[in-house]
Amino acid sequence: MDRTSKVVKTFTRKLFPFILLYGCYLISHGHLTPGGGFQGGVIFGSAIILLGLVEGIRMTEKRFREDMLSLTKNIGMLIFMLFGFTGMILGYAFLSDFLPKGETGTVPSAGLILLLNLTIGFMVGTGIAVIFYRSVRHGSEEE
Amino acid sequence: MTWLNGLNIGIIVILIGLYGMLTKTNLIKMIMCLYVMSSGVILFFISLGYVSGGEAAIFENGVKAMVDPLPQAVMLTTLVIGLGITALGLALAIKTYEDNRTLDTRKLKEKEE
Amino acid sequence: MTRTIIILTLLGLALFAFSAMDFEYGKPGPRVSEHYIEKGVTETGALNMVTSIYLNYRAYDTLGEATVFFATALGVFMLLRKEKSGDGSHFESS
Repeated sequence: MDRTSKVVKTFTRKLFPFILLYGCYLISHGHLTPGGGFQGGVIFGSAIILLGLVEGIRMTEKRFREDMLSLTKNIGMLIFMLFGFTGMILGYAFLSDFLPKGETGTVPSAGLILLLNLTIGFMVGTGIAVIFYRSVRHGSEEE
Repeated sequence: MTWLNGLNIGIIVILIGLYGMLTKTNLIKMIMCLYVMSSGVILFFISLGYVSGGEAAIFENGVKAMVDPLPQAVMLTTLVIGLGITALGLALAIKTYEDNRTLDTRKLKEKEE
Repeated sequence: MTRTIIILTLLGLALFAFSAMDFEYGKPGPRVSEHYIEKGVTETGALNMVTSIYLNYRAYDTLGEATVFFATALGVFMLLRKEKSGDGSHFESS
């Protein structure tokens, strides 16, 4: 029997891609407007949690598989370390800014800040979704 | 109304969280009061960097004075650590309930002895 | 119970008195922030001052914080498994 209301279900099904798009906008424009990696990542994770609350875990699992989300979280941490060590191989300090800078006011203008923002955004977003999956599935009667 | 600034409100929020943590006996309520205390500390530290008459910390043309951006950058890290502490605390509370079938701290203390 | 309330009230009054004492609220801060505000846009290229601090000047702290978040997600993943009859945290005595 259904316990979520009709309004929440209809709105979530129509609005879900726009919430994901808003999260990606906050992550990628983190150095021009207020926002950044953590803020956009939380919005991204909250969109997946909203879909999981409305549709049920089994239908959400078909779109966002749990092992793929966990893999993204692990690889994101590795890539953060690799960005630091690349700067060290080229002769600068650890985690220093070695990419060329563009003109101020555009998106590819700040060097390494954009890449670090993307990495942190994906890591935080998928981390929150993994915590949600684990909390719901623990102790349920499925196999 | 000069007493209504961020420092005093932050101290009030810390004291509310501290009172809740000392008097409640449910485990989940104590974890939530810890999160309220963390929010109070963050509010206190961010309002330490206030400059009267300053704008937000985004660079535009023709801006005279800006607020201090250094406490804001440090408190971003503190926010995420507060989230991590709450998530792990709640997972441990779930495991405690499975082993002992109660979440009352008085009964848990009796079971320990 | 009443002892708790008395102690908390005294603590609250002490903190209020400390914060109203001789504290310059609203004056500009230390000199490190002046360097970050003046030279931030030309040295890093980011218009957002807070982002240029926590991802360029102090990027090492952001690495530590990402590690803490990763450890939290890993801890919750390991604690809440799906086996109903006995968890994986009980060691079998061989």
